[in-house]
Amino acid sequence: MATGTYYLPQGHEVDIFMRAASKRLPVLIKGPTGCGKTRFVHHMADTLGRSIHTVACHDDLTATDLVGRHLIGAGGTYWQDGPLTRAVREGGICYLDEVVEARKDTTVVLHPLSDYRRVLPIERTGELIEAHEDFMLVISYNPGYQNIMKGLKASTRQRFIGLNLDYPDEPNEVAIVCQESGIDREIAERLVKLGNDLRRLKDLALEESASTRLLVYTAMMIRDGLGERQACLSCLAEPLTDDTETLVAIRRLIEAHFE
Amino acid sequence: MEEFVGRLWHRFVTRATPCGYEAAGVELDEVKPALSAYHRALGGASAQQIMTAWHRPIERKRGRAKRLPGLRRKHMLSWQDEQGLYLPPKIAYYPEKELNESLYFWLAALSTQVMVVEHWLIDNLKASATLLQRYPGLRNPYQELVTATIDMAASQIHLSDRDRGTGLIELLSRPEYGPDRPFDINQPVAIPLWLYPAPRREVCAEVIDDLAQQDATSGKLIRLPNVRRQAFRVDDRRKTDGLLVFKMDSLFSRAEQVNVDRLQDDTMDDDCHSAAHDLDIISLSRQRRAGGSNVRFDLDLPSPQYDDLPVGDGIKLREWDYKKQRFRPAYCLLQPMVEDRAEPSALPSHLREPARHLIRQFSSLDLNKTSKNRQPQGEEIDLDHWLATTTDPEQSPDPDRYYKSRGARARNLACLLLADLSLSTDTPLDGDQRIIDVIRDALLLFAEALNRTRDRLAIYGFSSVRNKQVRYHVLKNFAEPHTDQTRGRIMAIRPGFYTRLGAAIRQSCDVLKLQSAEQRLLLIVSDGKPNDIDHYEGRYGIEDTRHAVVEAKQRGIVPFCITVDTDGNSYLPYLFGNNGYALVQDATRLPSLLPQLYIRLTSANRHFQ
Ligand SMILES: Nc1ncnc2c1ncn2[C@@H]1O[C@H](COP(=O)(O)OP(=O)(O)OP(=O)(O)O)[C@@H](O)[C@H]1O
Ligand SMILES: [Mg+2]
Repeated sequence: MATGTYYLPQGHEVDIFMRAASKRLPVLIKGPTGCGKTRFVHHMADTLGRSIHTVACHDDLTATDLVGRHLIGAGGTYWQDGPLTRAVREGGICYLDEVVEARKDTTVVLHPLSDYRRVLPIERTGELIEAHEDFMLVISYNPGYQNIMKGLKASTRQRFIGLNLDYPDEPNEVAIVCQESGIDREIAERLVKLGNDLRRLKDLALEESASTRLLVYTAMMIRDGLGERQACLSCLAEPLTDDTETLVAIRRLIEAHFE
Repeated sequence: MEEFVGRLWHRFVTRATPCGYEAAGVELDEVKPALSAYHRALGGASAQQIMTAWHRPIERKRGRAKRLPGLRRKHMLSWQDEQGLYLPPKIAYYPEKELNESLYFWLAALSTQVMVVEHWLIDNLKASATLLQRYPGLRNPYQELVTATIDMAASQIHLSDRDRGTGLIELLSRPEYGPDRPFDINQPVAIPLWLYPAPRREVCAEVIDDLAQQDATSGKLIRLPNVRRQAFRVDDRRKTDGLLVFKMDSLFSRAEQVNVDRLQDDTMDDDCHSAAHDLDIISLSRQRRAGGSNVRFDLDLPSPQYDDLPVGDGIKLREWDYKKQRFRPAYCLLQPMVEDRAEPSALPSHLREPARHLIRQFSSLDLNKTSKNRQPQGEEIDLDHWLATTTDPEQSPDPDRYYKSRGARARNLACLLLADLSLSTDTPLDGDQRIIDVIRDALLLFAEALNRTRDRLAIYGFSSVRNKQVRYHVLKNFAEPHTDQTRGRIMAIRPGFYTRLGAAIRQSCDVLKLQSAEQRLLLIVSDGKPNDIDHYEGRYGIEDTRHAVVEAKQRGIVPFCITVDTDGNSYLPYLFGNNGYALVQDATRLPSLLPQLYIRLTSANRHFQ
């Protein structure tokens, strides 16, 4: 379909996103780290021919960072739009990545934008901007237990169409790893099997799972000539845990997969 | 011929076990954490724990009378059942440590390829072949193990080169070919690389007798393989009031001293104090239960003479009855209690090193990092505020506060740790610890770690005897500092009765609500499902607990459960949500994992303004 960013669909997410876009509804994407959320949004932006304004949310992010601020220039003070305001005016996808990291008072500015009003009031300037017809709000977060103390307000959540992404199933993940790294299919299959073995450890070691992203990185390093076991150790084992015992288990696991 | 080889193997295995290469030996305990992670990753059942095996005979199918000499001899075998993978306490077959360790990992891997070993030979060959095919990286280590095993056998029993060519050895080297020539597959042989059928019940008893003897001589604590199951059975035997049967004699002797006021009815309609007592204001009295308190005791309960000191008259709490889809109001009597006789105690020596480590970690953690804008002084300039004031002075409330200050204001978090102290915590773990011991260590370490932060901590424990007494033990309240006094109280925890989790959660929420905190975390340390000896079991207990959890969330409290129940995945998602719990597979790691979990739950959450 699209010539732009490569994305292999896991289910109906592309279709649902298209419908949400045409109905001008905002979208919430849930999924563990490195499962393709960002990639998906970029792919959809390409497909829809819209620009994308990404904001990586963090705990010091304020509403000002989203909406804009006054600056002082040579000719006195002037107003500068933030990424959200820019998307609202010009159209395009405003993508708030890891939105639960932002303070709750920050996300409240999204409310009038994400219901039928589709407006953005700017307190500082007194302006009320009506959203461009191509404006679309997309937020994402990882619903893992690390975020249980954060979460989104129900009143925020209930303004969005929800999409739940997870790590792709085995054949899809193999295809993705091959495509992204150019590695042999056989090695990709091994890597994905190893990845799925590692995902079983999630309960046990209280760590994040091995993401598709890590598998892609590992494949890229192998493709570049790094030994398979070494690549797995550096790209999979070490980023996943600091726990010596878990590392021993993972090292054994890697050795079981790769001769 | 095979019989001959079989006998040789027997000799080899029985001899090699005790007097192998001790120095190069590897103990199960050393590798257990890594081993259980490995086992799980390869697809091993999450309910299976790594356990210690014992010497036992290889069992034969009933009805086969033909006996091989020495067949009743005992071997250090490996096997598995639904609860565990049983591996030798120590492996010292080979001169290289690496190989001995490798055998543990091989056995753990092998166990993931076969659910139930029914046939000692066929099942092992099949499992080995699939494993080697699925994990090509295992081929070399496996061949090394086979070679070493054969060498070992040869050196121990002077197996000649010719004898090495026997079917058994060929089979080991190439399991994928299967038994390709006449081979008496019904003569089991103990091979260290294989898993054997789990012991049958009747045999178990016999083995246990043996163990008791061995126990006495070696002085090492060896436990029955199915204590865990038995403990549960005791819990479930409701009609006879389960364990209370066993405790009856001692209770009667105590009952003579006390005027026992038995409750006739399950409901408590007269009005005690209904409001939540502020447990944090209790003042401890050394004056002991003069004349007994107003709390009514049941025969099931220890007499006040021997029990913790009850604080107040108890608190009535409601309970959710899912069958009627409504609450039973004021149905549970929760009795706050405190062990006032606990001697103040320092941190036990085995926890000092881990505690030092944690304290270092928690002190360096910037848990309290929070930046406050618009400060009169601080490390950074608050450009936003300066700009706002400059561009629109009318609108700005705080002129001259142009700084951002880090840590000017600590995060305001209150955490209540609620520990399950029910009877099931008496269950032994592999090793010489019981669940209650790891819970105790976990509480002690957790308190040490949190002591280094500005987060506020209270620790309570609970167990229950029907709705009449939900025993709610104050170990450390929010108001008191963590001292040898509180340490002593934690040291004194012991397994109690049952698990009326809903009531304990409701009370904990009331206590948490009294804290003026912006974030309230209720951490529950548990070892199993909610249950009690009345109707509070199965679905009833689950539904009431779930209700209590939902109420907690509605009150702005974040409940999170950390459990050592390997079966937890089957009901915890329903109680706490998919992300509301963590399961610790190897209970002995609870003490080290609990503080780490706390960091993960709270540290990214720094922004309160
Ligand atoms: N369905 C997919 N199609 C193509 N590539 C994918 C897909 N899923 C994952 N990937 C690969 O995984 C990598 C990580 O994906 P991405 O960066 O989108 O993750 P994310 O979900 O946004 O993670 P985070 O939450 O950490 O930001 C991508 O760079 C891409 O290589
Ligand atoms: Mg992303």
